[in-house]
Formats: sequence, structure tokens, C-alpha cells
Amino acid sequence: MARITAGVGSSHVPLLGVAVDQGKTRDDYFGPIFAGYDWTREWEQAEKPDVIVLVYNDHASAFDMKIVPTFAIGCGERYKPADEGWGPRQVPDVEGHADLAWHIAQSLILDDFDMTIINEMDVDHGLTVPLSMMFGTPDAWPAKIVPLAVNVVTYPVPSGNRCWALGEAIARAVASFPEDLNVQIWGTGGMSHQLQGPRAGLLNAEWDNRFLDMLIGETDAARWIPHIEYLRETGSEGIEMVMWLIMRGALGAKTRLLHRHYHIPCSNTAIGHIVLEPAE
Amino acid sequence: MTDSGPTIGPMTGATKPSANIHEYLAELEDIPGTRVYTAARARRGYHINQFAMSLMKAENRDRFRADQAAYLNEWPLSDEAKGALLARDYNHLLDLGGNVYFLSKLFSCDGLSFAEAVSTMTDMTFPEYRDMMLNGGRSPEGQRSIRANLAASEKGN
Ligand SMILES: [Fe+2]
Repeated sequence: MARITAGVGSSHVPLLGVAVDQGKTRDDYFGPIFAGYDWTREWEQAEKPDVIVLVYNDHASAFDMKIVPTFAIGCGERYKPADEGWGPRQVPDVEGHADLAWHIAQSLILDDFDMTIINEMDVDHGLTVPLSMMFGTPDAWPAKIVPLAVNVVTYPVPSGNRCWALGEAIARAVASFPEDLNVQIWGTGGMSHQLQGPRAGLLNAEWDNRFLDMLIGETDAARWIPHIEYLRETGSEGIEMVMWLIMRGALGAKTRLLHRHYHIPCSNTAIGHIVLEPAE
Repeated sequence: MTDSGPTIGPMTGATKPSANIHEYLAELEDIPGTRVYTAARARRGYHINQFAMSLMKAENRDRFRADQAAYLNEWPLSDEAKGALLARDYNHLLDLGGNVYFLSKLFSCDGLSFAEAVSTMTDMTFPEYRDMMLNGGRSPEGQRSIRANLAASEKGN
């Protein structure tokens, strides 16, 4: 049977992809950020996940305002890196796991989550930057990916509670897939940042770290944080952190902390990273 | 941080108490210096954002650069929106329903980094903004609520 063995949370700031692509990951600015991912890169090499359910959001790359799906799952065979206005990142294509993706999609719909199904799309920095952070610069990504795109741009975005519940449903779906697969779930985006208006540049290390605390152990307090609190405390784009709750929900009632990292700033954004595993 | 919130069971089988949409939307307007991308803004700014999205294509960028006003005239935009786009007045564009992820196509078309473009929406120069970020960013203190700030200033008077 397939099983979710671990969860990873990570920011997905586009500038991190630029740093990787331009070989700047150990300079004075980026060094401290990337050092916090060294543990994870080694751990991933040992863990060798078969598939990653990668929760992220599209940033006006694959989707424009014509159609705004709240939760969408990629069921395709492969995805190309998107051209975000300066040419596509020179990273490997992303290989899907169509069998597992379709199984999860069907299971979620039967479990009352009305998913949008995507067969073809390009994937932007929201998905490829976390791959670079966790896997470095291989010739091919070492795991297959099930992209799960969340609307965190047009309000109302899904509630934290709904995201957590979706994670729980994903875990049930994975557990009923007959093939023996080591599946991880990654929640990406955040942490605190605001990219617009006179309040742009807001960061909140104290709040971000309390959020990280709330992902560990038995508490489910994070699922009840209302949108307005993310907005007030972590900036208008900090709302991306609801995507981490899909990851956390999928890990079950209790988690154990394997690794944690926090750094300010990367461009406009606070970098947060956590690795968790389900605990009994 | 929030208190533990409504005490309802897991989603399966339980009914979530429906949030009051009017209170929800009113709160989104209560944050200083912030334009939350609500449905109302998404509706108002639809053509601004779709115009910006069109700049993802190199041929459109070339045509836009060659004659910006003519390119904008191909879109069902108000004169106010066209003016704000030509002036790169991003705060004004946010008020008209522009969203930063779409407007960022215009930043890139202009060869501006995200951070530099973002700094134009603040009262800082780009070097000042960059220094603020290097020093830990903008604090949320006094930046959380317009109503709370108003109440505090009335008390002070
Ligand atoms: Fe993002």
C-alpha cells in the first residue's frame, strides 16, 4: 500500500530559483538560507520518496483570471517549467504520477472535495523552487510529482480548516492506493510577506515561528487561524501558509519534528522550512 | 495569536458554522496600506489583470513597448486605468482592482525586479526599502488595523 511518510513545508520565493540557476547559493546573501536546507537534501537522498504530492499556488502563470479553481490536482504525465516572463527555468521537466493522481482525484471527489482536474499545464516557481531547494540540481527530479494547486490569490481563499481537512482526505486517498509507494506531501509558500501597497515589506518572525510551533505535535490550533489573522500579522501574501495546513493535515493527529529552519529576509519574504513525520 | 476558535468536530459529518460574509469582507478592508484582492477588486480589475497577463508573450511585449497607448486601447479599460498603467502608478492600480501577481508581468516587461517595483508602492526609495528588508522588514506594530489605529489616536487626543 502507498503511505505518506513525511511532510515538508517550505517557502517558494522565485529569487531562490534564480540563486540556484545562477550558482549563487553559497554567497553571503543566500548562503544562510541554503545552509538551512542542507540537512533536508541529505535526508531526501536517504528517504528516496517515490512520489511527492506538492501543494503550491500558481502565480498568474498557468492560470489567469479566466478560471480560478480553489483546489486543482494535476493528473497529467508531465509538466514543463513555466515561462514567467524571463524564459522558463532551466530545470528538468516535472514527471507526474498519473495513476496515483487520478486515484487521489477520484477519492477526494467521493470524499466530498470537488476537485478541478488538470491534464495539461506549465508549473511555475511555486512548484519548481521547492524541488530545487530539496533536491539541488539533478539531471532529472528523483521523484514523481502530483501537483496540487490552491487558489491563495483571489478572496475568499479556502479556510485553514478546509485545507487541513483536504490534507486528511489526501492521506486517506493515498492509503487506499494499492501500489507500494513512499509518498511525501509538501506544503509551500509563505512565510510572512506583503508584496503590495504602502505596507509592503511586512515581516513577522515571531508569528511565523509560532506557526511553525503549531505544526509540531498534537495541536490542531493552526487549522482555526482565520484569514484576517494571516493578513494582519503576516502580510497580504502570508496567506500562502494555509497551503502548509494541507501538508500538516495529511500527517495525522500527531507529528514529530525532524528539521526546522527560519531566515529573514529573502527579497521581500521570510523563509521558513520544516520537515515533519507522522507520529503515533 | 488566535484563541482555539469554534469548537466543532472534524469536517466529516460536521457542519461548519457559516461565516458572516459581510463581517468577513469588512475586516479585509481594515488593514492599513493593503488592498486585499477580493472578488469586488477581481471583478473591477479584470481587464487590467488580463492585459498584464498578455505581456507573458514576447510578441505582445514588443507591441506594447512600441506604442503603449495603442496597445492599451485594444483593451476595454477605463481612461483612469489606462492612465494609471502608463504612469506605473501601482497603488492606484491596486485600487482599480489590479493584483500584484498580474502587475508583475508589467514589472518584468519594464525590466524591474519584484522588490524594486514593490518599493514604489511604499513611501521609501528602493535603497531604503532594501535596507529595511535586510534589517528584518516592516514591523506589524501599528499596522494591523485601521479601526484600532483610529481608536488609539482618538484616545490620545
Ligand atoms: Fe507564492
